[in-house]
Amino acid sequence: MSMIDNVQNLAREWLDSKEVDAIFGLKEQDGYIAPYLFTDVGELSCLVISNQYRLCYTCRPAKENILSLMLQTEPNAKIGVVVRGCEERALIELAKRGQVDLKRIKILGVACSKEDAEECRCEKPYPGNLVLGEKVEGVSGDENVNALLSKSLPERRAFWKHEFSKCIKCYGCRNVCPMCICKDCKMEQELYTETGWLPPGIPMFHFIRFYHISDRCIGCGECEKACPVDIPLLTIFKLLQKDVKDLFDYEAGMDVEQEEPLLTTLDETPMREEVMDVGV
Amino acid sequence: MDKKGFEPKILAFCCNWCAYAGADLAGVSRMQYPPNIRIIRVMCSGRVEPELVVKALSLGTDGVLVLGCHIGDCHYISGNHRTVKRMAILERILGYLGIDPARVKLEWVSAAEGARFAQVVSDFTSKIKELGPIPLQELRP
Amino acid sequence: MLEYKNVLTTCPYCGAGCNFYLQVMNGKLIGVMPCKSHTVSQGKLCVKGWNAAEFVTSKDRLTKPLIKRGGNFAEASWDEALDTIAKKLKEHRDVDPDSIAVLSSAKCTNEENYLMMKFARVVLGTNSVDHCARLCHASTVVGLVQSFGSGAMTNSVRELEYADCILVIGSNTTEQHPLIARYILRATENGAKLIVIDPRAIPLTYFADYHLKQKPGTDVAVFNGFMNVILSDGLEDKEFIKERTEGFEELKEAVKEYTPERVEEITGIPRDKLIEAARTYAGAKRASLIYSMGITQHTTGVDNVSSSANLAMLTGNVGKESTGVNPLRGQNNVQGACDMGALPNVYSGYQSVADEKVRAKFGSAWNVELPQKPGLTVVEMMNEADKGNIKAMYIMGENPMISDPDTSHVRKGLENLEFLVVQDIFLTETAQLADVVLPATSYAEKEGTFTSTERLVQMVRKAIEPLGDSKADWEIICNLAKMMGSREFGYSSPAEIMDEIASLTPSYGGIVYDRLRSGGLHWPCPSREHTGTPYLHKEKFTRANGKGKFWGIEFKEPAELPDEEYPFTLTTGRIMFHFHTGTMTRKTELLNREVPTGYVEVAPKDAARLGLANGEFALVQTRRGQIKIKALVTERVPEGVIFIPFHFAECAANVLTNPALDPKAKIPEFKVCAAKLEKVKVS
Repeated sequence: MSMIDNVQNLAREWLDSKEVDAIFGLKEQDGYIAPYLFTDVGELSCLVISNQYRLCYTCRPAKENILSLMLQTEPNAKIGVVVRGCEERALIELAKRGQVDLKRIKILGVACSKEDAEECRCEKPYPGNLVLGEKVEGVSGDENVNALLSKSLPERRAFWKHEFSKCIKCYGCRNVCPMCICKDCKMEQELYTETGWLPPGIPMFHFIRFYHISDRCIGCGECEKACPVDIPLLTIFKLLQKDVKDLFDYEAGMDVEQEEPLLTTLDETPMREEVMDVGV
Repeated sequence: MDKKGFEPKILAFCCNWCAYAGADLAGVSRMQYPPNIRIIRVMCSGRVEPELVVKALSLGTDGVLVLGCHIGDCHYISGNHRTVKRMAILERILGYLGIDPARVKLEWVSAAEGARFAQVVSDFTSKIKELGPIPLQELRP
Repeated sequence: MLEYKNVLTTCPYCGAGCNFYLQVMNGKLIGVMPCKSHTVSQGKLCVKGWNAAEFVTSKDRLTKPLIKRGGNFAEASWDEALDTIAKKLKEHRDVDPDSIAVLSSAKCTNEENYLMMKFARVVLGTNSVDHCARLCHASTVVGLVQSFGSGAMTNSVRELEYADCILVIGSNTTEQHPLIARYILRATENGAKLIVIDPRAIPLTYFADYHLKQKPGTDVAVFNGFMNVILSDGLEDKEFIKERTEGFEELKEAVKEYTPERVEEITGIPRDKLIEAARTYAGAKRASLIYSMGITQHTTGVDNVSSSANLAMLTGNVGKESTGVNPLRGQNNVQGACDMGALPNVYSGYQSVADEKVRAKFGSAWNVELPQKPGLTVVEMMNEADKGNIKAMYIMGENPMISDPDTSHVRKGLENLEFLVVQDIFLTETAQLADVVLPATSYAEKEGTFTSTERLVQMVRKAIEPLGDSKADWEIICNLAKMMGSREFGYSSPAEIMDEIASLTPSYGGIVYDRLRSGGLHWPCPSREHTGTPYLHKEKFTRANGKGKFWGIEFKEPAELPDEEYPFTLTTGRIMFHFHTGTMTRKTELLNREVPTGYVEVAPKDAARLGLANGEFALVQTRRGQIKIKALVTERVPEGVIFIPFHFAECAANVLTNPALDPKAKIPEFKVCAAKLEKVKVS
C-alpha cells in the first residue's frame, strides 16, 4: 500500500471512530492542491500529501492562525491534522505562544520524501511525532548560506542592496509566515518604514522580520517561496537558526515546554560564555 | 572613503538608572570625552528594540552605543538580560547584511562609573573613526 | 461541524491574471492564499492581490436596489427597480435606440460583457456600447490591428524571462503589473539587457542598463530614432522584412529624417544613449518590447503603437518565443471585455458590425435584425449626453466620474441625461448621479471567466453567497432583458453563456468550462482539440494577406503643450498601492495606510523656485479645472514635468486632463497636458 493510501485509511479510521471531528489536510481538485477541512469520509479520496502548502498559516485579513480560527469557531471540536516536520514545529511554537491548543489537535505526522526535503532545503523533513512514512535524512549545508558567508562586508552590502531594491512591498513574506502572528505589525508602521514608497526601507523593512522571527523560525522557507522577486530570505533565517542554537542552545519547534530565549532571563536561558563578556 | 577629518555621529541610548547617571557623573566631574555623542535617555536598556538601532543607522548615524546597568543591577531586575540577548542577535544580522557589527556596542555603565562612561565613549568614537562613515549610499537604491 | 475550503479564482485587479485561493470558513471570507501551481503567479502575489478579500465584505457594499426620489436614494425591491428601468429604457428605445448608450465593464466577466453588448444590440437596438478600454488600450486595438492584424499582446508573460533584451516604454511595470515585473527582473538576472524609456524614474530603472528620459509625448520620435540608427548601422533583419512584411520602403523614407541629433532635439534623449540603446535592442537574439498607457494615452496613441510594431518587425522580433510587442492591459478583464465585443464597432472576436455577413450571423443566432449604424465611444457618449443627443445611459461597473478626462464635462453630460442606471458593487461617484442603482456582486460571489493581458482565459469561481440582495451582473442583465420582453436571455449559468460565445466567436471556439477548470487557455483556441496559442504570428501575421505592415509615421506634437501661462507638463498614472478609481483599494485598510491620499510629484528645482516644500499643498490648474493637492518633492520627475496619480476623488487628476482624442482610436490624451502650479497660501 502506498503512503497516501495509509494516510487516507488512518484519517478515515479517526473520523469513523469519532476520535476527531474533522481532518485538516490538503485536497486535490482539478489538478490544484489546497488546504481543506475534511468532515465527510467520502471526500478522503481527494486527500493528498504535498510540499506545496503548509497547513499552518495566518489568515489575512483575519490575522489569525487558521487552526486557531477553527478551534475558536468550533469550541468543542477536535481536529486531526496531517502534518509534516515543519508544520509540527510551527504548531509547537504557536502553542508556546498560546495560539493553538495542542490538546485539541491530533497530529497525523508524515515524513517527507527525499525530493521534497531537497526542494525545501529542509534540515529535518519529518515530525517528532512520526505516524506514517519513513524518515529521510535532512539536507545539510546550504549553498546560499555558504555563498553569503564567503562574501566580504562590502560584497554583502552590494548583494542585499540588489536584492532588497527589487522588493515590491507585497508583505507576502510576512503573510505566509506561520510565525508572524502579531495583529499590529511593525512592518506596517511609519515609525520604521516610510509608507507608500518602493522599495521599502533598506534594510529596515526586512530586518524587522529577520529579528522578530530569529528565535522562532522553523525553517519552512515559505517566505522565500512567496517572494515575487526571489529575495533569498531563507539564507538569513538559516544562519539565525544556527546562531540561536549556538548562543542559547535553543531550537525552535522542538519542545513545547522550552521557552523562547529572547523572552527569558539569563537564569532561565543562559547565553554561552563567550558572548557574555560584554562590558564586564 | 575619506576618513581624514571624519567626525562621526554617534548615538548612545542610556538607561535612566545607571548609564545616564554615569554620564551625568562624567559631566559634573569634568571628565573629557569626544563630543561626537548624542544621548537618548530610555528607562531601561531593555527598552531599546533593535529596530531603533537599525533606524538610527539607516538615518546616517555612524555608530550606536547601548548602555545599561550591569547584570544584576537592573532597576527592573531582568531588563538588561533581554538586552544582551537581543544585541547578540542584532549584531549577527547586521553582519550578514554587510554592516560592520562593530558599529553597534552594548556596554554596562553604573551610576558610579563616570570615568568608565568617558572611557567607553572615547574608545567607541575612535573605533568608529577607524571604520569611517556609515556606507549609506551603498544601501539605498 | 465547521466548513473550511479554499476556492481558486482569478485576481480582480490588474491584467496579469494571477490566481489565488479565497479562504472560506462557514461561508465567510477569511483570507487570500497564493496558488503555487499557477502559471503566472507561482505562489506569489502583489500587495493588492494579498488584500483582495477585504473590500468584498466592506460595509459600504450595495446590498439593495436604490431608486432616487426627490434627490435622495430610497431602497427598492428588484421588481420595482427593474420595472422602472425597463419602462424608461423602452420609452427612449421606441423614440430612438441611438439615444441610449451603454458602458460595459472591464471588471466584469467575459460572460457579462458578452451579455451587455448583446443587450445593447438586441434589446436596446444600438451599437453604442463601449467600456474603459477606450481610455487605456483603444490605440493598441487599432494600432496593432493595422500593423499585425491582431490587437493583443503577441507573446505570453512567462516568455519574458528568457528574452535577451527587454524594452519597456510607457509602462511602470513594477507598480502596475507587479507579477509581470517579476519576469523582467528574472530576465535581467539571467543577463538580459533592460532598456527603460520613461520620463520618470520608476522602480525598474534601478535595474535598467539604459534609462532614456524622453519628453512626454515624443515617443514616435524615439521609435523613429531607434529605427534610424538600426537602418544606418544595417542591423535590420533583412530576411524577416522581405519574407514577412510589406511597406518597408515607406518606413525607410519616414525614419530617414530622424537622426539621433534631431531626435535629441525633439525628445531630450542624449544621442549617444539613444544609439547605444538602439544597438542593444537590435543586437539581441530575442528582444521583447513592453508598453502600456504611456504609449497609448496620447492623441498620437495609434501612431505610437504602430511605431512600436515597426521597431519589432524591423528587427524580426515578432512571431518567436520571448519577443514581440506586448501591451500590458490594465484591468483584470479589459482584454476579455474587448474580446467580447463591448465596443461600438465589433461583436465578439473583433467581428465587424459593418460586415454584412457577420451581422447576418449574429442576427440569426439572436433572432433579431441588428442595428447597422456604428455606435459611440466613451468620450463621444459624454459629449453627446452634454448636447442632449444621448438621453439615457446604462453603466455597469465603471466610474467615469473619476476615470474619464475632464471630470466637470463628464458631470455635465451625466447630469444632463434624462435617465441613468448604474450597476455596481459600491455607490461610486458615478452611481451617486444615477436615477436607479442596481447592487451587483463582486468577483468572489459569482462564476465566470476573465481574460488576462496575455490572452489567457481563466476561471473565476464563486466563493461565497452574494451579499444582501445583490445579484451577479449576468443575472441582472438577463432579468432586465426578460422584463423588456426579450427571449434571448434565458441562461441558467455562465457556462451556458460561454457555450454561446464559443459558437459565435472563432478565437474562443474551443473554450468550455470543463477545459478551463484545470487551467487557463490562451486564445486563439479555435476548437476543442486546440491547446491554445501562447504567442501570435508564428508563421504568418493575422492580417488578411498574412504580412505585417510597416507604417511610415511622422512625429506630431501633443495636443496641448506647456506655454507661458501653463508652464508645466502634467502626466498622470497609477501607483502600486491603489487601483484605478480607488473604489476597491480605498476600502482596504492596509492599502489606505500606505497611501491615504493623492499627491503631485514635483522636481526639487521646480519646487524650490515655487517655494514649495515637501508635504505642502499646491494648487494645480489647467484649462479644464483646478485641484488642491499635497506636493511630493522628488527626483523621480524631471524638471518641468509634474505627475499625479488619478485614484483619488478628493484631488482627482482627471479634473485637469485634456479630453483631446486620437483621431482613429478616440483615446484621450491623459498623459500630456499643460498645467500651472502654485503654492497654496495657508489661510
